[in-house]
Amino acid sequence: MTTIPLVDLLSLSGALFALGLFGVLTRRNFILILISVEVIMNAAILNFVAFSLFSPGPAAGGIPGQSIAVILIGLAATEVAVGLAIVLALNRLRGTLNVAEAIQLKL
Amino acid sequence: MGLWIAVTEASASQLYHDASFVWLGLPDGTNFVMGTLVSPLGALMLVVVNVVGFLVVLYSNEYMAHEEGLPRYYAELMLFLSAMNGLVLADNYLEFILMWELVGLCSYLLIGFFWKKPSAASAAKKAFIVTRVGDVLFFLGVFILFSSLGDLSSATPATAYAGTTCPGGVLHWSCLGFTFTPPNTNSSVPFLPANAAIEASNFGGSSWLPTLAGLLILGGAAGKSAQFPLHTWLPDAMEGPTTVSALIHAATMVAAGIYLLAITDIYFGFTLTAAIVIVGIGGFTSLFAGTMGIVAPDIKRVIAYSTISQLGYMAMAVGAAAVISDLTPTYSLVNGTPVLNTFTGVAMFHLFSHAFFKALLFLTAGAVIHAVGTQDLFQMGGLRKRMPITSITMLVGALALSGIPPFSGFFSKDDLLSLTWQAATLESTQNGSPLLYVFFALALMAVFITALYIFRLWFLAFSGDRSRGEAPAASHGAPAPAAPTSAPFASSTSSSSSSSHAHDAPAAALPLASSTSSSAPSASGAHDGGHAGGHDPSWIMTVPLVVLATLAVAAGFLPLIPGVGHLLPGLSWTVLGKCVTNCGAGSSFDLTDALLGSASLAFAGLGILTAYAFWGNGKVYRLPKDSPLLGVHSVLLHKYYFDELYDGLATHVILGLARGADWVDRYIIDGTIRGIEELFSQASKSGRRLQTGIVSSYAAWVVVGLLAFLVFFLYVVPWLVGGFHLPPTPGL
Amino acid sequence: MSVDAATLAFLLVGIAAFLAGALALLSREIVHTVIYIGGFFASLGVVYFLLSAPFLGLLQLAVYAGAVTILLMFAVMVIKRRIFAREAVLGIKAPTFILALLVGAVLLDLAQRVPAYASAPACPASDPYCVSLLAQNLFLDNGGWLLLLGFVMLSALAGAVHLAREWRTPAVRKIRED
Repeated sequence: MTTIPLVDLLSLSGALFALGLFGVLTRRNFILILISVEVIMNAAILNFVAFSLFSPGPAAGGIPGQSIAVILIGLAATEVAVGLAIVLALNRLRGTLNVAEAIQLKL
Repeated sequence: MGLWIAVTEASASQLYHDASFVWLGLPDGTNFVMGTLVSPLGALMLVVVNVVGFLVVLYSNEYMAHEEGLPRYYAELMLFLSAMNGLVLADNYLEFILMWELVGLCSYLLIGFFWKKPSAASAAKKAFIVTRVGDVLFFLGVFILFSSLGDLSSATPATAYAGTTCPGGVLHWSCLGFTFTPPNTNSSVPFLPANAAIEASNFGGSSWLPTLAGLLILGGAAGKSAQFPLHTWLPDAMEGPTTVSALIHAATMVAAGIYLLAITDIYFGFTLTAAIVIVGIGGFTSLFAGTMGIVAPDIKRVIAYSTISQLGYMAMAVGAAAVISDLTPTYSLVNGTPVLNTFTGVAMFHLFSHAFFKALLFLTAGAVIHAVGTQDLFQMGGLRKRMPITSITMLVGALALSGIPPFSGFFSKDDLLSLTWQAATLESTQNGSPLLYVFFALALMAVFITALYIFRLWFLAFSGDRSRGEAPAASHGAPAPAAPTSAPFASSTSSSSSSSHAHDAPAAALPLASSTSSSAPSASGAHDGGHAGGHDPSWIMTVPLVVLATLAVAAGFLPLIPGVGHLLPGLSWTVLGKCVTNCGAGSSFDLTDALLGSASLAFAGLGILTAYAFWGNGKVYRLPKDSPLLGVHSVLLHKYYFDELYDGLATHVILGLARGADWVDRYIIDGTIRGIEELFSQASKSGRRLQTGIVSSYAAWVVVGLLAFLVFFLYVVPWLVGGFHLPPTPGL
Repeated sequence: MSVDAATLAFLLVGIAAFLAGALALLSREIVHTVIYIGGFFASLGVVYFLLSAPFLGLLQLAVYAGAVTILLMFAVMVIKRRIFAREAVLGIKAPTFILALLVGAVLLDLAQRVPAYASAPACPASDPYCVSLLAQNLFLDNGGWLLLLGFVMLSALAGAVHLAREWRTPAVRKIRED
């Protein structure tokens, strides 16, 4: 049971999504893009939790949304690990982290 | 076989034997059937086709013996005959069209048999293309029938047979007559002939649609039977072997057109307008073609013109029969069913007799050509003594053609004129239009013309003492001084007679008198010039002549055979017919018929006498130099400039159309295609710039798509449907 | 407009999260970026606490604010690269910026339109933070999916390790020489 309005949660989520999107679109540094993607992921997770808290289903306390959030957090962590591995490989092979220079779509 | 069917048919109590199966069934219940229908007219045609066909094939054995490509010749001939048999046995328009096209194909092949000759090849093409014009019209007519009468269940036929479904498909002739045909094969229920079908109510209330359909079918028949606007192919078709000419003119190709008109009248009917047009075209053609026959120098072409003329008669008779059916429909009971009386039998009677004497004329002409090695009448002459059998049999044919009793042509032509007179009288008394009298007058004049040209042919070829072969030889090559000065009334100088005559040019150097040059090549190809002495051919060629001559006499007495009345519906008009059916019963002698008979006889006799006066006894009449008739002669010799007209039409109008179509194709269709191509080319050129490989820009485009999607569904769609609604409580 | 304490706290934390994220993306120095993003993750963890989801909040703090941030920090240390100067605030490209703004505007507008759904029933007294319910939902009800996900993650991690290894194959050497 929470007293925080759903609108506020969704607004925060939307704002964070837009922020992450902005980062993805404007940044050239691979690490920053990765971080932006994480911001987007967090916005999405927040959305899951929020909607789950405000759905009058049989499950108490927005449990389904929290389950998805748990899974997504794990998934995001994995994604960061893989992304950073790609960053390392790219840096080692191409000597750059600029996505504008890594245009061959392969390592 | 055909004879057997015909005899069975004539003696049978039931007239129609139909065996058909569904060839193509559409999901909506439309059936296209294939089948065999033995009908009275078909049986009669079987006789004509097979008897003439047999004799022609027999005759070919000698006549064509020296030609190359005989297997091809006989194969095409057999295909021709079987297509014609199929045509007369077809029981629906679709099957009829298939056979019709086969006939057209075979005529193309056979006319172009000497395909190495450019003139023969072009004549074949001409025949094919001109008849194709008619075929297109015919198809359109059948399409109209199909689309208008297609849903018979909702049509409201004006007869007692309304509402019956049509198991055979709408193009089946029994269905066109709106009569139910039981599915068993030996149906004794007759077809209900026509006139119910042409009611406007069956055409969605349109009265002009059935007229149009009839006229379009007439167009098809005109193409096949070489009627007035489409007649030009037939004289050129003389490029084929003479046997083929005999077959085409007597039994197969041209008969198909008349047969089409006849069955259409029987099964479907012509509206009055269409019928009058048919009479008009037929009557006009009969005279029109005859006049061209007077001047033609080529023996085969004269006969060809006579064919066109006689076909005009037949078309006229069908039209007259249709007029009578339309104006005063009478019914007779057949097996308890009212059947409309039709008089197309008159036309078919003429077709029947004409088939024999025309085949006879062609085959005798072939014998003459075979013997003397030229087709030019003005190089013949005096053949009567050397070729007595040919001479006499051709005389029989000529008399029959002219309509001299007791030869068959008299009876059939008299029937036909009498029928036309009847129709004209009906039309003028009921509708006050004397138009048909005009056409009748044309046809009557054609009787005179017919006798004139055919006896001109006979006198020029057979009378006199000796050949005139030397005279015109000089006119080829360098212009002979005599040619321009003494422009002959009908002369082989034919300085201008269209280039399709050119095939007899080398043959002209082979006059009969100088028969020593028997080794000279014969350009006509139909003969090898080996019989330069000019004598009767061997029995293989003679027997068909004699048989045909006998038939040419006997065919006139056909109505005397008991049962033939079945085959020739409506044939009870003439002096002869009246006598056959009624004389014994003491009926009155019809004065009109007698007068008509006498008139046509008088005209024919006059024609023969005129011909004798001009060309008898080996004379060759030449027009005086300053005769005003020279212009007429030239026009006739040029076949009324129809070839030139059509050439001009082709060169200017069609070429212009083709240029227009080319322009459309080049700039509009191709332009569109090129434009599309250019569009994609440009699009891919600009699209290629998007493929930077930079992930960010890809992401940007993804986001653009997402944004567009969101905007569309959140703002555009609600704006269109008037409001944005989320469910008040989310369902789980 | 009365605002209760939890909402007020949420608003503050939410603004803090947004600011931290914005600073992270706009910072000129990549180490600062990592620090800011750690703050961002932590503030989101606080949001989860405020939403009565303490387990999730702890997980967020541990995995995101802890592990992921440290992983990023290690990566940055290994690479030793500064953020490109031109990517500073002034280097924002207008079209993409506007695009992101538009998407944000649409999402915010959409958030306003969501009807006021009733909140979910509270957790039972025996389990005030629903942890056992969550465990039941996570491991019993969706256990199979979780297991499948685990395998996917494991293989992804194996792939990441493979990628991050020092490559010494001739092909790699050739690429580096180019």
